[in-house]
Amino acid sequence: MRPVRHAIVITMAVFAGWLVVVDSGSDNMPRAQTAVVAPAPAPATPPPATAPAPVGTPTAVLAKDKAQAILGKPVTSTKDEAMGRIVDVIVDKAGTTRAAIIDFGGFLGVGSRQIAVDWAALHFSPTGQPERITLDLTRDQLKSAPQYEKGKPVVVLEGSGHTQPLAEGEYPLDH
Amino acid sequence: MQAYEELGSDVHHPPVPAPVSAPVRALSRHSLRGLDGFNFFIANIQTGFGPFIAVYLTAQAWTQVDIGFVLTLSGIVALACQVPAGILVDAATHKRTIAAIAAAAIAVSALMLAAWPILPLVLGAEILHGVASCLMTPAIAAISLGLVASHEIGERLGRNARYASAGNGIAAVLMGACGRLFSNRAVFVLTALLAVPALIALFHIRSREIDPVRARGGQPGTQPHQSLLHGIADNRGLLVFGAGMILFSLANTPMLPLVGAIMTMRSSQWATVLIAACIVVPQIFVAILSPWVGRRSESWGRRPLLILGFAALPIRGVLYALIASPYLLVVVQILDGISAAVLGVMVPLIVADVTRGTGRYNAALGTVGAAAAIGAAVSTTLAGYVNDRLGSTVAFLGLAGVALLGVILMLLFMPETRPAEH
Repeated sequence: MRPVRHAIVITMAVFAGWLVVVDSGSDNMPRAQTAVVAPAPAPATPPPATAPAPVGTPTAVLAKDKAQAILGKPVTSTKDEAMGRIVDVIVDKAGTTRAAIIDFGGFLGVGSRQIAVDWAALHFSPTGQPERITLDLTRDQLKSAPQYEKGKPVVVLEGSGHTQPLAEGEYPLDH
Repeated sequence: MQAYEELGSDVHHPPVPAPVSAPVRALSRHSLRGLDGFNFFIANIQTGFGPFIAVYLTAQAWTQVDIGFVLTLSGIVALACQVPAGILVDAATHKRTIAAIAAAAIAVSALMLAAWPILPLVLGAEILHGVASCLMTPAIAAISLGLVASHEIGERLGRNARYASAGNGIAAVLMGACGRLFSNRAVFVLTALLAVPALIALFHIRSREIDPVRARGGQPGTQPHQSLLHGIADNRGLLVFGAGMILFSLANTPMLPLVGAIMTMRSSQWATVLIAACIVVPQIFVAILSPWVGRRSESWGRRPLLILGFAALPIRGVLYALIASPYLLVVVQILDGISAAVLGVMVPLIVADVTRGTGRYNAALGTVGAAAAIGAAVSTTLAGYVNDRLGSTVAFLGLAGVALLGVILMLLFMPETRPAEH
């Protein structure tokens, strides 16, 4: 039994060690689930470098430094306070992004609150740092904002710190 | 921690075959220290699972719908496996092997979560973790029962609770720091690594010192009843206690998340530290109090202590409803420590009392675990709903009311279960 036990223990330790080495800030790896499209050049203009697309389906290519996925990305205040992570995006019937849902606060998953913040208060790569998302609000302004709940009118915290319910008929279709 | 250091120093020596005529007491000491360490590290490991999974998956760009699905599924597994796992532990001769497999399975599930957080693997990891956890609780209780004489069991369970809560408290701080300094993924790597000392501690328990008959609450020389649920469905003490546990977990489970959300609302700078304190403070009190609870359960009997533990909960609910200062809310968490210290000892102890001689100890323990899991599953949704509609004050008072029903149930119907020979 003993050699077997040792073998199991050592194998687990080696695998875990390998994971630590492999894991290099993977929390921030972009995922292609919700893409923010920076003011892009005219769409449907395939750059020459790309592989030929299937016939009849034009493609647009967004450069890495021009667009990013945002789901699960950390948000900081302009004063560099941690403000939580983006967990959802609210759009109105016209498809315009109105708010981001931020999972704010808590420790080891206990006590976090989901808050809708005005889309206009978010800035993507404001200082040229890729992947950085800032919010024009402080933790103090965010802490007492009403919680976001599915199926209820979305109360959006504006850049000034005031809350503003989305008008009737503007709720996203899936809520 | 002291016990671990002693263990650690042992580990580097090659195992010396014990002489056949070695004194029994010395061997038992070895086993008991092993059990201390195993309780500590298993509690370490379990801290990373639970609400933290949601944080981790959020950072991995998971949608809230998928996260909700994973958490619901793991709740169902944790509920459904309790009784079958107890029956399995009763039937197994080698309780230590079950504990080892469960510990290794939890480590593997942590590695699965860390390595590749995609839906099928995360679901697999959560199911594996749920099943292993359902085996772990009765396996530890059975090893404890099998190691010590029946009049020492209260004290032994007190020690188990002490080391488990020390493990929880230390791991919460450690993993919070690990998540902040490295990454959320590193928390699960750390979790898996902690299985190594857990298994080393476990293998310090001498398997042959675990009396398999006593470990399942059986009577020497008699075979357990044919029916798997004999001594459970018709056991009044067990049913009253199980009903009490539903009410207790119904009232207890949502309190910490609600307090955490209030901390986040009321304190912007210190919320994280205060929530961490709300998690760690009760663990400190459990570590201090539970050996005392174990000893007193032999001299005072179980009932007065059980009622103390149940009564702390409605008081806590009312205080949460009344107190505004987030700092004072941390102080109120001492009451959580009192409840947890009492129940951490009383759940395995009372179940041992009421199933003595049936040989169905672990199945009964699983039944009580399932009762608590039902209460927990219903209450989080219910309390969240009340909190959204009517505010946190009403939610806390409602939970205090449910907890008070539990106290009344215990006062009126719960018999003293301490064996008569004391």
